[in-house]
Parts: sequence; C-alpha cells; structure tokens
Amino acid sequence: MNFLTPAFLAGLAALAIPVIIHLINREKRVVVQFPSLMFLHKIPYRSIRRQKLRHLLLLLLRCLALFLFVAAFARPWFERSKHAGAGSSGAREVVILVDRSYSMGYGDRWQKALDKAREVVRAVSANDRATIVFFANEPSAATDPTADRARLENALKVAKLSSEGTRYAPAIKLASDIVAGSNLPRKDIVLISDFQKAGWAKREELSLPTGVELHPVDVSGKPGSDAAVIGITTDRTRDTTRARVVVTARIANLGPTPRTLDAVLDLGGRAVESKRVTVAASAAEQVRFMGVAVPSAATRGVVRITKDSLDADDSFFFTVAPDEAVSVLVIEPSSARPNQSLYLRTALSIGDKPRFRVDVLTPESMRSADLDRRSLIILNESAPPGGVIGTRMREVITAGAGLLVVPGEQNIDRWPAEWRALMPVTAGSVVDRSRDLGAAIGGVDYANPIFEVFSAPRSGDFSSARVFRYRSLRVQGDSGVIAKFDDGAPAMVQRAWGSGRIVVWATSMDATWTDLPVQTVFVPFVHQLGRRVGRYADSRQWFTAGDVLDLTRHAELTSPLIGAGPKAAGDSGQLVLEAPSGEKTRLSVTGTNHLATLRERGLYELRGENTPIGAGRPLAVNVDPAEADLTHLDPAELVAAASANAAARQAVEATTAPPEQQEGRQTVWWYLLLGALFLMAIETVLSNRLSRATS
Amino acid sequence: MPSAIETTSAVPGANLIDPSVLARIGNLELLARSVVDGFINGLHRAPHLGSSTDFAEHRMYMPGDDIRRVDWRLYARTDKYFIKQYEADTNTNFSVVLDVSRSMRYGASVDTGRISKLEYGAFLAACLTYFSNLQRDRVGMVTIEKDIVDYIPSSSKHLRVVLQALDRALKEGKDASAVDAKKGLVAAPTLAPPLRKLSEIYRRRSMIVVISDLYEEPDAVADAVGNLRGRGNDIMVFHLLDPTELEFPFADSSNFIDLETGEKMPVIPEYLRKQYREVVKEHVASLGKLLRDQRIDYALFDTSRPLDGALFAYLAARERLRRVR
Repeated sequence: MNFLTPAFLAGLAALAIPVIIHLINREKRVVVQFPSLMFLHKIPYRSIRRQKLRHLLLLLLRCLALFLFVAAFARPWFERSKHAGAGSSGAREVVILVDRSYSMGYGDRWQKALDKAREVVRAVSANDRATIVFFANEPSAATDPTADRARLENALKVAKLSSEGTRYAPAIKLASDIVAGSNLPRKDIVLISDFQKAGWAKREELSLPTGVELHPVDVSGKPGSDAAVIGITTDRTRDTTRARVVVTARIANLGPTPRTLDAVLDLGGRAVESKRVTVAASAAEQVRFMGVAVPSAATRGVVRITKDSLDADDSFFFTVAPDEAVSVLVIEPSSARPNQSLYLRTALSIGDKPRFRVDVLTPESMRSADLDRRSLIILNESAPPGGVIGTRMREVITAGAGLLVVPGEQNIDRWPAEWRALMPVTAGSVVDRSRDLGAAIGGVDYANPIFEVFSAPRSGDFSSARVFRYRSLRVQGDSGVIAKFDDGAPAMVQRAWGSGRIVVWATSMDATWTDLPVQTVFVPFVHQLGRRVGRYADSRQWFTAGDVLDLTRHAELTSPLIGAGPKAAGDSGQLVLEAPSGEKTRLSVTGTNHLATLRERGLYELRGENTPIGAGRPLAVNVDPAEADLTHLDPAELVAAASANAAARQAVEATTAPPEQQEGRQTVWWYLLLGALFLMAIETVLSNRLSRATS
Repeated sequence: MPSAIETTSAVPGANLIDPSVLARIGNLELLARSVVDGFINGLHRAPHLGSSTDFAEHRMYMPGDDIRRVDWRLYARTDKYFIKQYEADTNTNFSVVLDVSRSMRYGASVDTGRISKLEYGAFLAACLTYFSNLQRDRVGMVTIEKDIVDYIPSSSKHLRVVLQALDRALKEGKDASAVDAKKGLVAAPTLAPPLRKLSEIYRRRSMIVVISDLYEEPDAVADAVGNLRGRGNDIMVFHLLDPTELEFPFADSSNFIDLETGEKMPVIPEYLRKQYREVVKEHVASLGKLLRDQRIDYALFDTSRPLDGALFAYLAARERLRRVR
C-alpha cells in the first residue's frame, strides 16, 4: 500500500491520546483497597466486566475511526502485485495443451505426447481443475475444466492426429483465457508438443496472464528427417488434336543427408509415370511427369514418394479440371446494329486467365439448354427472353450466374414485371452529352472487385473515355452505385440476386455511345466484368488442411453440379460434401450453410443430393507443407517470449500510470471515509446507550 | 448515614462524642471515661437509670456471711437470719468480642480525619467495658480474626487488661493495615470458628457484645452468633461499616482489592453504585431480621457517627434485661 500524501499519517499520533488516558485510568485502579468484594460479587457480572468491555469497544471504535480518517486523508492506493493471486501452494488450474498437428505423427511422438498428458492428468488432485486442449492450426478444448480424471483420460483416449499444421499462439491464447477465468491460486499451462519452428514462424505475440506458468514438455526426441511432396504445378498445352496437361511435383528433402526417392504420378486411379529422383540434404527437386490428355471430367490425381517416418506428407493430392473457361452468353436483339457485340466478344475471346467461351444469341434463337453452365449472361441492348426460357434464365441467375444488363435503347421499365423486379434500377431517358464533348466517368469505387485492379497508379484510366450518350438510371432499394459519370449520374449499378449478381451499365458496349471500347482500359475492364460478375474463381487444384471452403466463391466447383439442373442437385438445391473418412456435410450455395472446413487430408467429393457416389466434383486437400519442416524450436525461447510479454505488461501496468492516476482510479480514500463515518455513527449510538445506562 | 439504613437514634446532648475527636485521645481509659461520664450525665434525666444499692432479694444466712448484711428488721419479725441482697450485687459477665480482621482496618483517613472501623470498634469496646465496669460487672474481651486472637476472661479487675488489649489490637492493626499483594489470595475469615470456641469457653451466662463488619452471609452470621445465644448469653451485635462502604462514593474506574483475600476486581463505580447500595441494604435488612428472630440485638453503626448510639443501645438492652429479671 502506498500513500499519496503520507504527511497526513502524522495525525495517527492522535491515536495515542485515548490510549494515554486509558493508561492513566488504569494507573488509578491499583490504589483502591476495599474491605471486602463480597457485595460486588453479588452484582451481576455484566455490570462490571461488560461495562468495561463496552468502554474498550468504544475506545477501539474511536481509535479505528480516527485511523480511517487519517488514512483517508493520506490517500492510499495499492500497487498491484506482480504475481497477484499466484501462490506457490493450493489448488491448481491446469490447461494441458496437446499438439496434434500431423508432424506429431513422426515416429512415436504422438504416443509420447499422450503418455505425458496422462502423467499430468494423474497429478491432478481433487481440488485441482484441468482442461485438455488439442491444437493444430486452431485449438479446441476437449473437456471443460474438471477434476474428473476419468473424463480427462477418456478425452486422451479418443484423441486423433489432425492433418493440419502447428500454431502455438492461438493455443496459448485459449489456455490463457481458460486460466484467466479461474479463481484457483495456482495456474499452469502444460504445453506438450514436438516444438516445430514452423509453429511459431511468424513470431506471433504470446502473452500469459500474470501468475500463470507455462511448462513445456518436448516430445520431439532426436532430430527428425523427412522428405515431402510440397506442391505440384500443372501446365496445359494444346496441340493440334487436344489439350494436354503436364504435372510437375516439387519434392523436398528436409533431412541432413541426401535421399533417393521414387515419385509416382497417379491420375484418375491409374499410375501414369514413376520417376526416381535424388534430393540433396535440405534441398528440393522438381519432378516433371509426362503430359497426359486433359480428362473430360474433373479427375483425381496424386503424387506419391517413398514412405518415411512421416507419411502424411508423402502423398500430394490434386484435381485436374477439364475446362476452366468462363462460359458467357451474349444476347443481342435480332435487330441489332452491325457489330453490336463485336467489341465485347473480341475482348472476352482474347482472355486466357480465365478463358472465356462466348456465345452470341438472340432471344428468339435461344433454347433452354443454351443457359446450362453459364457463368455470365449479357443482355446487350436486348429485352430478356420470355416464357420458359426467361424463367430458366432467372433460375440460373439466382443459382449464381451473373447478369450484365446494357439497356442502350431498351427501356427497362417496359420489361415484364418479373424482370423489373430483378433490376437494380429503373431506367430514365437517354442523356445526350455529345454537345459538351461527352461525359467522363468521374467516379469509380475502387473497393469493388470489378475496379479493384485499376486502383493502383497507371493501372487503367477511365477518365480518358468519352461518353456521349447514356441512359439515366434511378437506383432502387439496396442497389449500389459503383461508377458515376462526371455529372453524378450512375454509370454502373449492381445488386445481388440469390447467389448471382446483376450489374447495369448505363452506356453501350460498342462505340456508338462511347469511345470506351477503343480505349486501352476496355479489354481489362471487360475481363474484370466477366470474371467478377461471372463469379469466376480460380480453379483450386488442391486445398490445404484447415482451409475453409466457401461455395459462393467457387462457382467452378458448384456450377457443373447446379448447371446440370436443379433436379441433379436435388429439389432443395442442397449439396453434399463427403470427407475422405466418409463424414458427410450438407451444404448449400444459396443458403447460410455454404461454408465447410476441410480438415482431413485426402480427396473430398462434392456432389448433389441425388448424384451417385463418385460422380461428383473431387476436391483435393493436402497437409500444410510448412509442417513438413521438422526444424526444432527451443521451448525455452517460446516460454521466454510468453513470460517476457507478461513481465513487460506488468512493468507497463506498474509504470505507465502515475500514482495520482492510480490513486484516482482506486479511490480507496472514499471507502475509508465512509467507513470512518459509519464507525462514528456506531460509536454515537453505543455511547448514548451507555450514558443512559449510567444515568 | 443514608435514610435507608436504620440506626439507633442519637440521644440529644451526646452528639459531641465525635469519634474523630475521640481519636486524638491516646489513653483508652480516659477516652472511655470521657464518653461514659458525659453520657451518664446526659442520661440522668432518664427514669430507668439503675442503682447498685437497690434491694434485690433475701437469702438465708450462711456461716461466713458478713453479719453487717443481716437484715435485723426481718430477724425481729421472723426470728431468722436473712441476708439482704442488693441489685448491685447481681453483677454479670460482660464481654466484648471484637473482630480485628483486615477488613476492620479499613476507613482510616488522615485527610478527612476519619478513623478505621477497628478504631471505632475499639473505642466502642472500651466505652462499653468501662461503663460495665462502673456497673460492677465483670468485664472481659475477646479479639477474633480467623480464630481467637486474644482472650481476656471476664473479671471485675480486668478493665485495665481489656483496655491494654484493645490498645495492642489497635497498634497491630495500624502496623498491618496494608495488604501484602505478594501473599496472593487467601480465604476470608469467618465468625463461626472463633464464636463456636467462645461458646465452649463461656460457662456462665454473659452479656456479649459482638463488634464486627460482618462480611459474611447473613445466614452464616446468624448461625455463628446463634451458638452463643443458645448458651443463654445475651448477645448484642454491633455492625460497623465505614460511610464509603455504605455509600460507595468512588468516582474513577479502579481495581478494587479485597483487604481480606487480596482478590482484585476491575470496577467502574458509577455503573455499580446503585446496585451496590441495594445489595448492602438487603444484607443489613437480612442480618437484622435473622438476628432479631433469635432475640439478638442488632444495630448498624456508621463509623462517622458519634458513639452515643452504641451506648444507648447497650443501656437499653441492660434495662430490658433488668426488667426481665
């Protein structure tokens, strides 16, 4: 305890006054000799002793009240103890962090880790509480804080290795949160791991609450040696007859000695080629396999090398998709101007990442099948098709396809009501800006994915384009304006519709209303429109364990399933994701359950509810190649970092706030003053009662 | 003297016998004479004053009797020799039992000029003995504490011996007035053992005056004195208390030390005064009732009051005794 104005403590000398009086009175007592105490003995005891006690109580009350007054004026404040709440004895709150990343599968590390965890559990007494937390990329508490050792051991019994990598910081954070909420005097975190350097490669901040001790238990044993397939690349080539894909695997030797390995490529369940490669110590080699014809459907592939002590990274799974082009349907009126879609089609056709497959049709010539597997539909100054085709087209848009509307001379307000309901705008009249040398595109929302690539300097200049005519647009509802003309009129408006997206462009896509098509920015602009409005996502050949699959961002995965018609995906449009272990997860592209965490290594299958097993879209999931690096981290370094942060925080807590501020925050004097007043009130009541009794 | 406590009323004209004044007289005989003479002078108007020449009875002449005491007139009528006996000749044993315990030494104060209960008791004993001696009674005295301290058998020649014994008791009392705290706690003396022993000693009916502060339970006192009464003795109990014992006028909270036992007790007098007075009053009332039930005269004396009350009580008792005869 510290005092802000300790000089007031001199007032405590006043405490001596009642004590001195008391002592003086005591001195007087010694002198009275009386013939006999017989009569005094006959008087009830309380009248003598208790009166004395009451007087002593009064004295104490007065002294205590005086002390509190003085202490209040001295303005005390407490400096928080470095290890407040921590004790060297008493009940413990223990969090047992068990690393279950796939590197723990090396040798007997996993078994050793479980044995060590059981040892800690056996040391838990009835007054202690323990929590078992398994962690890899993310921590997960297997039990609540409990003293029940049977529950704890059962959690260890059913524990399994994961396919994910190691991250120490989230695990220590969770453990800190658990112990911080405990009221037990001792708080320990036991970290059982192989202490891979990769687990703390980013040097994330580690912080322990005050009074918490981190006890590392290293089960790594002797230095590990591992070889792993750390990645593959696919190159597509096209010869005169068909497209071919060449797979190149990257194989790393993370051990201290060179190793000779056999690498085998399997594609579609068939061994394509086997190659022997010698990899130097702590080095990587590329193995290029022979090209194979691009399969007609998404095909499972795997590159395997000779098994070693850690087999999780000895295989690398991937998928080869048949065609990755974005399918674009351009609908133009039968009375279209010559080359009305020329610029658009040409710009799209020269795209390679992704490639665009463009079909130009009129509403009259369209069939329902023309809408299958379309990622983007462009109404290029055309009214939407009616009837069954129109209905089917809306379904496709709702399921995730994009719609780019270029009204031009078309008046949207005259479209059928079901189409007007989709539109983010109502169209006004055509604005002619040719007299003032045309309008410019004055404002662009660079945060929008369509324009994001143009945000950097010299990445595309829209202001150089002149717009001579455009249709005025009135924004509706929750639609957003992502580009404006220089007069503030909306140039591009967008809205989401189901899983799809609808974008309206106010001017034309040829050179009649604007010279944008002849500007250099036009081609990348159209490509961006095709990519973003068409909801294109790079085809993922593999995922890493722990990644989250968001179906709304992977049209290349879902569109083949949805494009096959609602019936193929089931009446509800539900999809099923089956893990390598056989665990099934129901997902929906349009609903809220469009996310799934891919935790298992191997090949998943995404399919419609009624799709036969094996006919769905395969997804490859591999372990994090960084985890294959078994380089050891000194546990003391980890502990020191965590403890240093805790110590630094304590130091900051102690030093940053000046005493006045700390005292002001605590306001102990206020409570002391209240206490003194309370005591004085009691003293008044008591002394009045005694006075009445005396009189 | 509080009104609650009844004492023998003082005789007008005798108030000059102030104990504090008497205390200045070193000679007990002189003191007793001063008191008794003055008192008798004051009482000459009283009709019940006895005479030692009053006729009491006749008895047959026995050889050896003084022939001067033969009633010749009766001889003339009856032709028989009768000896004429007078009242003065029926002298009785008179003995004072004086408590000289430590508690009796309480009360002396140089500042206020007050005397201790022992001094007051000694003056009283001296006066009564002197007076009795004047009446030709045989006088004796016993001082008691835990046991009999000093025993002077009753005799017509023992006045001076009694007075010397009283003087000695006073001197010893002054020398040992302070309590020796190092002695620790001791049991308080009781009246019963010495009085029981006295009852064995007194073979002849006596008039016994017990002077004590009676710090015992009334039952115990009545039992102890009752022993003597049972032997046919006439008993008068003079209960001496200092004014402070009656009033409890102490102001400061103090440690009270029992003069008899050495026991200590922290006391806040202001809270106890009322209860103390009530307890004393009950004690006195109870003593008076129990003793009077046994036809024992009891009187409470405030040691700050004159000695005439005690003398008057004595004489009243003598008168009653004479009437009974």
